[in-house]
Amino acid sequence: MYGPFAMNLTGSQRSVKRLALLQVAPAAVFWTAFFLIPLAILVRYSFFEAGFLTITPAFDLANYQEAVTNGLYREIIVRTIVIGLATATLVVVLAYAFSYVVTFVFPRRRELLFFLVMVALFSGYLVRIYAWRTILGEQGIVNSLLLSTGLVDEPLRFLIYSRVAVVITMTNILLPFAILPLYSAMQNVPREVIEAARSLGGSGLAVFRTVTFPMTMTGAKAAFAFAFVLTCGDYVTPTLVGGTNGIMIGNVIADQFGVSYNWPLGAALAITTMVAVLVVFAVVSRLMTVVAR
Amino acid sequence: MRRPTVRQVVGGLLVACVIGFLALPILVTVVFSFNASPRLSFPIEGLTLDWYDRGLRDPMFRDALRNSVVAAVVTALVAALIGVPASFALRGLAPRIRPLVAGGLLLPAIVPALLLGIALTVFLEEVGLGLSLETAIIGHVLIALPFVVLSMVARLDSFDFSIVEAARSLGAGPARGFADVVLPLIRPSIVGAMLLSMALSLDEFVVTFFTRGGDDTLPVLIWGLLRRGIDPTINALATLILAGTVTLALIANRLTKVRL
Repeated sequence: MYGPFAMNLTGSQRSVKRLALLQVAPAAVFWTAFFLIPLAILVRYSFFEAGFLTITPAFDLANYQEAVTNGLYREIIVRTIVIGLATATLVVVLAYAFSYVVTFVFPRRRELLFFLVMVALFSGYLVRIYAWRTILGEQGIVNSLLLSTGLVDEPLRFLIYSRVAVVITMTNILLPFAILPLYSAMQNVPREVIEAARSLGGSGLAVFRTVTFPMTMTGAKAAFAFAFVLTCGDYVTPTLVGGTNGIMIGNVIADQFGVSYNWPLGAALAITTMVAVLVVFAVVSRLMTVVAR
Repeated sequence: MRRPTVRQVVGGLLVACVIGFLALPILVTVVFSFNASPRLSFPIEGLTLDWYDRGLRDPMFRDALRNSVVAAVVTALVAALIGVPASFALRGLAPRIRPLVAGGLLLPAIVPALLLGIALTVFLEEVGLGLSLETAIIGHVLIALPFVVLSMVARLDSFDFSIVEAARSLGAGPARGFADVVLPLIRPSIVGAMLLSMALSLDEFVVTFFTRGGDDTLPVLIWGLLRRGIDPTINALATLILAGTVTLALIANRLTKVRL
């Protein structure tokens, strides 16, 4: 730590830092050029003026005003957030229970079970949404099963082209994504702490409430954020299984960049929705912290 | 053989339900791709390979397949080329800016694809780049990059860098230390990260749809067929993509561990 050694140390630390900057540079340039700048341009577009098939640079809050005050858009944004909350809650509860059971009840089978989840994760986004149309449709698998067993007299029509269909399908798509952080959170709970809590006389429930649950809260929040944000931003699922009742804000935004050709309004709707989603998530995250305490 | 406890029975039921729920759409897709009847409802009336035959003969399928393979390979190469060095860099950066850089690089994974798609659309319009397969690949790299960084950081966290110092003290230069010591040990993780990138690229639809111009990839082709109505050819093509992405992801999973 003295004399030439100190010099040497700081010298090598500086070269480590220089190397690190060099190594991160390509990714940083790519990220700035194709992620940060595009998002910044999108924000700028949200202030532009849109005419009939024209877009004029301006600084105008009219698009935001339209996004917030137009009753239709407001209704669809609220509906999107409700569907997002329902999906994220369902996803986190299922993923949490699954990860818990795999980790603490069947630890010896965990490799196989996790492997099956990975298969589902990579088994095709569009295709799975489409498959749910076959499963939930009027002549679909669920309905023909219900009809043939005589449980219902006519097919359940709310199963397809509805909000229920969107929630079921999105839950299916996002469940593997949510299992990843929760599974890893469960694996990271030190067994010794659980043993210690047990040996001090804690019942199963008490150990869960005071040890496992608080220690896996960060994982649960990450999973919830994932599921909530991605559901609110989806438009393929509502397009294919949502019907008219299940239209979400993603459909409206995608339309502005397609047939309607009103990019400024689309940008303003996207940004308004993202802000609303972040605010709602902040509230949920706070609630989860309170519950875990 | 001990009798299972209540805990095991309830837990087993739950695990079976979750796995069944995840497997159901996959099974449905594969089963109906072999169904002789064009109607997508039970009972299965017989088995056929006609839908595969029809799908594979379609010249649009050949173009889309070629575009998808090109996109997947280029995405894997570019994502690894810029993502692997960035993962190394995260170790050397000052502790204060490290979480910032890591968080930034991971951000595209949790931003809805629709937002990425429309942001890239306005960006490409603004800089005057015409839409094509190349511009779609930009989006694929953006989506693959966080997963490359995640899996490489997980690998490097458990990497014993003292062996590099040992090599250096035995006279190996920095380049040799990297090429002969580090690279052979992390190669499986790099290959794994690239396969993961290919799987993500093959399956990517939303960003591709906005940025591809006239060049269809397999998911875009399937989207077109979906909008036209029920057609078991979709199931056949979907099953083929499924086989591709699942194989890639499974090999990737053997080679690397993605942790979130």
